Amino acid sequence: MISKIKKLNRIFNPRTIALIGAIDRPGSVGLGLCKNLLEGEMAREIFFVNPYYKKVLGKNTYPFVTSITKPVDLAIIAVPSEIVPRVIKECCEKGVGGIIIISSGFAETGESGKKLQEEVLGLTKEANILLIGPNCLGVIRPFIKLNASFAPATPKAGEIAFVSQSGALIDSVVDRSLLENYGFSNLISYGNEADLQLSDFLEWLEKDEKTKVIGVYLEAIKDGKRFMQVARKISKPIVILKAGKTKSGAQAVSTHTAALAGTWEVYSAVFKQLGMIEVETTEELFDALKALAWQPKCKGGVGIVTNGGGYGVLIADFCEKFGIELPELKPEILKRLESSKAMHPAFSRKNPLDIVGDALPERYDVALDTLLSQKEIGGLIVVQTFQIMTDTISDAKVIIKAKAKYPQKPILCMFVGGKFTNPGIELLEKNKIPNYSDPKRTVLAMKMLVNY
Amino acid sequence: MESLSFLESKKLLEKYKIPFVKTKLCISKKEALDFAKSVGFPVALKISSSEILHKTDVGGVKLGIETEADLGKAWDEIQKVVKQKVPKVKLEGILVQEMVFGREIALGMKRDAIFGPVLMFGLGGIFVEVLKDVVFRVAPVDKKEAKNMITQIKGFEILKGFRGQEKVNLEKLTEIITRFSKLSLLEKDLKEIDLNPIMANEKGSYILDARFLL
Repeated sequence: MISKIKKLNRIFNPRTIALIGAIDRPGSVGLGLCKNLLEGEMAREIFFVNPYYKKVLGKNTYPFVTSITKPVDLAIIAVPSEIVPRVIKECCEKGVGGIIIISSGFAETGESGKKLQEEVLGLTKEANILLIGPNCLGVIRPFIKLNASFAPATPKAGEIAFVSQSGALIDSVVDRSLLENYGFSNLISYGNEADLQLSDFLEWLEKDEKTKVIGVYLEAIKDGKRFMQVARKISKPIVILKAGKTKSGAQAVSTHTAALAGTWEVYSAVFKQLGMIEVETTEELFDALKALAWQPKCKGGVGIVTNGGGYGVLIADFCEKFGIELPELKPEILKRLESSKAMHPAFSRKNPLDIVGDALPERYDVALDTLLSQKEIGGLIVVQTFQIMTDTISDAKVIIKAKAKYPQKPILCMFVGGKFTNPGIELLEKNKIPNYSDPKRTVLAMKMLVNY
Repeated sequence: MESLSFLESKKLLEKYKIPFVKTKLCISKKEALDFAKSVGFPVALKISSSEILHKTDVGGVKLGIETEADLGKAWDEIQKVVKQKVPKVKLEGILVQEMVFGREIALGMKRDAIFGPVLMFGLGGIFVEVLKDVVFRVAPVDKKEAKNMITQIKGFEILKGFRGQEKVNLEKLTEIITRFSKLSLLEKDLKEIDLNPIMANEKGSYILDARFLL
């Protein structure tokens, strides 16, 4: 029998796709799917299936999936739920490689929907075909120009895999990412997880070379034991945002343990036990993913270089709060800074290293290179406030240079400002050095690199 | 939900080598006196009934009984007050228990529908309810994970012997947690467990009260 991973490989690298329910009615999910799929038409063959229209978006259609003569690696189903069983039967007859059911109207709607879902699952199980969904957005893999979803756009390619039980959340994440510098290796919306579950996707992503870090939006785990087994074996960092943290456990409980062990406590314990990073907001989620995607683990304490004393102190405060060590600067390091002639006479001579507001790129250069040479400093946070003499592009270049010299030490930046600062931030992030807009976000991101 | 009787609970803990403080279920004052003398005063009296969840709430607990006379008085008082407060409850008798001193901790289990047995560890007695200083883990919990549980509660400093107070034997405590993990995994009929309080001191940790729900 072909392994699940191999079958998933076929679904995720399809040479042919059939879209059942292809339609060009404005505002329809089907149209979104058609457009997104056609973006990858150079990379693979797309078949539109619709018995009622001869052409969709100018492309000839097939009345049934069985009318397609070539093999179909992936069938995407976007038809009303009550027709889905019939379409599934045809897919099974055709012997497609895998199925994504986009359609809603299944277990999420109640008893009859649940029955319909069971019927569908029975059919695919019998035919030994893997199923994603139902009630999902689909799958996006920017590296191979595969957008098998009705998301508003295809995001940039990058190191982040994002797996989500909510499809709508992915839509917003994709839209947001178009203004950001990070990109995705995979976006997987898995909906009701009738067949393929989160654990299956995690297993597959562990083997996916393009994925460096995995983000998960989760509502509930279906198979707890399997999830724990699989997650223990995943070496890539997993950042998880769990929704539905209802406060207490059962109402009529009779032990203290049951009263205290509510859904949230149990899930949090599980994540902690598995070494996953739990976050509370989507902002934290992507702040963490960006840091983990672009920077190595921080082995040791953190050095802070700033041209503004206030921000240095704020960052130091958060470091203390989140348990991040700020090593003292060694005498020989201070001596090097003193004798460099690059420092302002009033520079702080301690960590955080305040190199004073009028710092030009050369001063950043000396400060970064000197601090990174100290063994106890495992990573840096570099702050740039925008002063009249600040050269943000050159500052960014200096940081990129320092990063290249010390690739094993993470650097996170906090270039704060707006119009004048943005070009520097863009340059930093194009070179995979994350920038955050305030002290707490910066330090939280560093905490991920220290702890995971 | 049904719960195990005192004797069943004691037997189950013995099976997994989880030490219960020296306790006897007595049905007469004479029996209670004899046992108190054999373990030595002070002792505690506790009402025993699988139908009573909070013994103190029904006036069913007397601690630090120093003399034979006090024991007699305490015995009568518990009988009277409990019968007043919960007249319909079926009583098994009164537990006579050796008094052990130390830090109160709690260990518990809830069988989660998705993840299986979830273990809880934290400061015990009334602190469980007030401070909620507890941590959770899904079983199995090995020695290393058990140590993590102990060190991750906020009150860990208290167990280490804060400002000259008695230290807790952490090795023994770790051992009890791993045995409790085993019990939780193997005794599949149990839905919830409270071992609370557990008295932990330099010598070891001793269960003072156990509640097993089926």
